[in-house]
Amino acid sequence: MVDFSLTEAQKALQENTPRGPEPILKGIFTLPPYEQEGPRLIGGLCARCTRKFFPSPFVCPYCLGELEKVHLSSQGTLHSFTVVRVKAPYGLSLPYCLGYVDLKDDGLRVLALIDFTCIEDLRIGMEVTLCVKEFGHDGKGNPALRYMFSPKTERLL
Amino acid sequence: MRSVSIVGTGIIPFGKHLDQTLVQLGRQAALDALRDGGVKPSEVGIGFFANFLAAHTSAEFTVGQNVFWEVGINKIPVLNVENACTSGSSAFHMAWLSIASGQYDVAIVAGAEKMYVPGLGLINSGETQLDTRLGFVVPAGFAMRAKRHMHEYGTTAEQLAYIAVKNRKHGSLNPIAQYKDPLTVAEVINSPMICDPLTRLSCCPIGDGAAAVILCASSKARRYTRNPVAIKSSVLLTGGYENPVSLLPWETDFRGCRMAYEKAGLGPEDIHVAECHDAFTIAEILHYEALGFCPEGEGGRLAISGETSLGGKRPVNVSGGLLSKGHPLGATGVAQIIEIVLQLKAKAGSRQVDGTKVGIAHCMGGDKDGDGKSCTVNILSV
Repeated sequence: MVDFSLTEAQKALQENTPRGPEPILKGIFTLPPYEQEGPRLIGGLCARCTRKFFPSPFVCPYCLGELEKVHLSSQGTLHSFTVVRVKAPYGLSLPYCLGYVDLKDDGLRVLALIDFTCIEDLRIGMEVTLCVKEFGHDGKGNPALRYMFSPKTERLL
Repeated sequence: MRSVSIVGTGIIPFGKHLDQTLVQLGRQAALDALRDGGVKPSEVGIGFFANFLAAHTSAEFTVGQNVFWEVGINKIPVLNVENACTSGSSAFHMAWLSIASGQYDVAIVAGAEKMYVPGLGLINSGETQLDTRLGFVVPAGFAMRAKRHMHEYGTTAEQLAYIAVKNRKHGSLNPIAQYKDPLTVAEVINSPMICDPLTRLSCCPIGDGAAAVILCASSKARRYTRNPVAIKSSVLLTGGYENPVSLLPWETDFRGCRMAYEKAGLGPEDIHVAECHDAFTIAEILHYEALGFCPEGEGGRLAISGETSLGGKRPVNVSGGLLSKGHPLGATGVAQIIEIVLQLKAKAGSRQVDGTKVGIAHCMGGDKDGDGKSCTVNILSV
């Protein structure tokens, strides 16, 4: 079970940070500002089945048990990807990139945006790192936070 | 379960029908099917109407009752079916089930769609779903399967493009196809990129269209026609949605095809002609493998072998497929079944495959968690 309470430093940071863009869905990743650990996706864990899910479903689909929230790995490998070049939804700037990422240690394959600044460098099997960026809007025109994986190691937000 | 046959079909040309309402499209196909089968409206015991986008594009809903009363069908149970790209073939499955179970003797299925409306974006998984909110669109899902297929099996852009070229050649022989001009591999590859590696000509166009069939208990089918087409098996499935999802092989696709063969007591070697869901060029290649027409990974090489072209050993998408007909979502699944019926009755004109006794109509629809939302497989024979 992950401790979701904030450290004093995080609380101070949040109080002093103006309310920024909201994530595209509530509770799917940790919110900025980030300390050293960086952002994390939030999945569901069924203690009984020991299965992990992302995003966390209503209940465990295998045993209908309650799920605990868990932080998932911020590291993964790129299983496949594509570059979307037309008719972007949510005001996403074109081109943008989508991929499936196999999360290290979690046994989960998740759909994700892939960093669009390095489209030419993308290769199946490459290692990628999670980041969270303001990208596109929420469907109502408000700027939104979306999670993304990047081949680069430096943190982008 | 009782044996069920198809006794009548009706289809209108796929294309732009800007001056026609959804009901007008649907009623024409329904009327043509009733007349083709010599079936009176009062003889129909249950009706299914398939559509995907009416509420979105035409501000219409519960359309089946409107369509069917226009052709004199009332008072019976009427259901409106939405199941993404398989809406039509899912409705067909329900009609088959209604008769096979012994509850009804005659059923009508009509599917119709109007897609030429302003502002129709790419189809997604639904506005509340995480993948949609991230930016997922349907071509992206197939593009990622294509990328993976190229990576694992060495499938080439030329092999992918050949599917579009072949189906356009077939479509040129089909009066109801929307696009009939010939294409070259270079034209497909050099058309604007939509989602790498899928170009515009690798993606099926939209379309307005309608198609309808009449099903009947086989024991009573000869009241209506001398040459009914028997339904050997009808399968409707949903995806697995378990993580990690397998992009290749596509488990739901393989499971649907396997189940249809098992129920029919037939195998891939028995199939003379096939229609499959070629919404994107890669999709037809994946379906070759799921349908057992070639080993896993060999779909690209099968495409260019000529085996699946008209005149080849087992032609696929002789109608021109979705790539040439266009993809009016509610009508598509019914139209695929109609093509197989025409082939089995030797009424397919210049695109007729000689000596067809058994055919298969396959469709998949929707996206969820890297899987499909539905898969239908129908095996028909004479």
